[in-house]
Amino acid sequence: MPDDDPLIAELRALDAWLDVPPAADQRAAVRARLAPRRRARWIVAGLAALVGAVGVVAPARAAVVEAVGDVLRVVGIEVRQDRTPGALPATPSPLPGVRIARLDEAKRAALFPVRVPAALGVPDEVKLADPDPAGAPRVVTMTFRGGAVRLDQFDGTISPMFLKASGGSAEWTDVKGEAAIWVAGPHSVRYVDRQGSERTETGRLAAPTLIWSGGVVTYRLEGLATLAEARAAASDLR
Amino acid sequence: MEVSGLDEAGEVDDAAAVERARGGDLDAYDVLVARWTAPAHRFAVLLGAGAEADDVVQEAFVKAYRQLARYRGDSGFRPWLFSIVANEARNLHRSRKRRDGLVLRAAAKEDPAPTDADPADHVLATERRQRLVDGIRLLDSREREVLVCRYFLELSEAETADTLGVPKGTVKSRTSRALTRLRSLLAVEEVPGA
Repeated sequence: MPDDDPLIAELRALDAWLDVPPAADQRAAVRARLAPRRRARWIVAGLAALVGAVGVVAPARAAVVEAVGDVLRVVGIEVRQDRTPGALPATPSPLPGVRIARLDEAKRAALFPVRVPAALGVPDEVKLADPDPAGAPRVVTMTFRGGAVRLDQFDGTISPMFLKASGGSAEWTDVKGEAAIWVAGPHSVRYVDRQGSERTETGRLAAPTLIWSGGVVTYRLEGLATLAEARAAASDLR
Repeated sequence: MEVSGLDEAGEVDDAAAVERARGGDLDAYDVLVARWTAPAHRFAVLLGAGAEADDVVQEAFVKAYRQLARYRGDSGFRPWLFSIVANEARNLHRSRKRRDGLVLRAAAKEDPAPTDADPADHVLATERRQRLVDGIRLLDSREREVLVCRYFLELSEAETADTLGVPKGTVKSRTSRALTRLRSLLAVEEVPGA
């Protein structure tokens, strides 16, 4: 089958005469078909670590799902595949500068709006942690129901503060239409403080947790047994 | 790996985009979709997908993304994507009842570069092209595929092998068989008019 075969030359020349209609732009359609499926897949793949990224979160939060490398980001929440199991350290280290405060005091001290889930009533205890030099806390923690339920809220506009969780299975959900992550199983939680040191506050594994983002604040609600209950609580912050 | 010089720069970009897309970066995948939609669509049309070529392309891009983990990059993104397009086009043929859906039509437009040549020659050339197209249409789809890859897309034997998912030797023998078959179809067609 030599290349100088006249039939081959004819075929090559014929190409210019073939009627090929213009192609439709497939970008939007392909993306629309891939995005939701992809999210599901991340979870099925066995999510090992959650990072509530509080770094660069633009005020105008386009609610887009973005994935780069092995990190999936949804409005300030990062999901990271972590090969290492979520082992607990022998000696827990509390968050720096923790102090107990009254709710109204917490609302004044924090640089972000501090809210309470209406479904959980009045917090048993309010703690402020990791303050800046002027005393404004990075994290406000509230406990409810005798300490069984815990809500962490932290400013999504200051950098870089992370919340890491390892182990457990997780799934995507939403809180009032904003992407959220539900970690049903036990997992370890670590904070990265202002100095970049990782801290594990407790020597226990965390209970079911809902992580979501609202306005400039990222929330972590731990201790409600079901997703429905957690979403309901998360949907009504006052 | 056989990559023509022209493709080299593009293939490097493809590799980087594939790498990022593999990590879930849909923006990176957008780049690949934008770059390869038109060639993939053209391929689908040439394989006989007709009006369904756009659907074939979309399906191929979705499947390609979901199979990115299996992509090893030995021969570039194009043959890999095209292999999925070819597969989709075949599925289309199987699900179709009528074979005349496989349309390969000569352009109705006039000669893009009219010359001072004899109008009779022009008519002959047009008739000849029509006969060629008719002949290709009568080929078995596997024979048509190799001719499309080798002479319309100008793929190398290795790229054709990757695209069609067959060994290089099969590409060689199938091409040769397709040309022989086409030649005999043309000869038969010429008889009544001779």
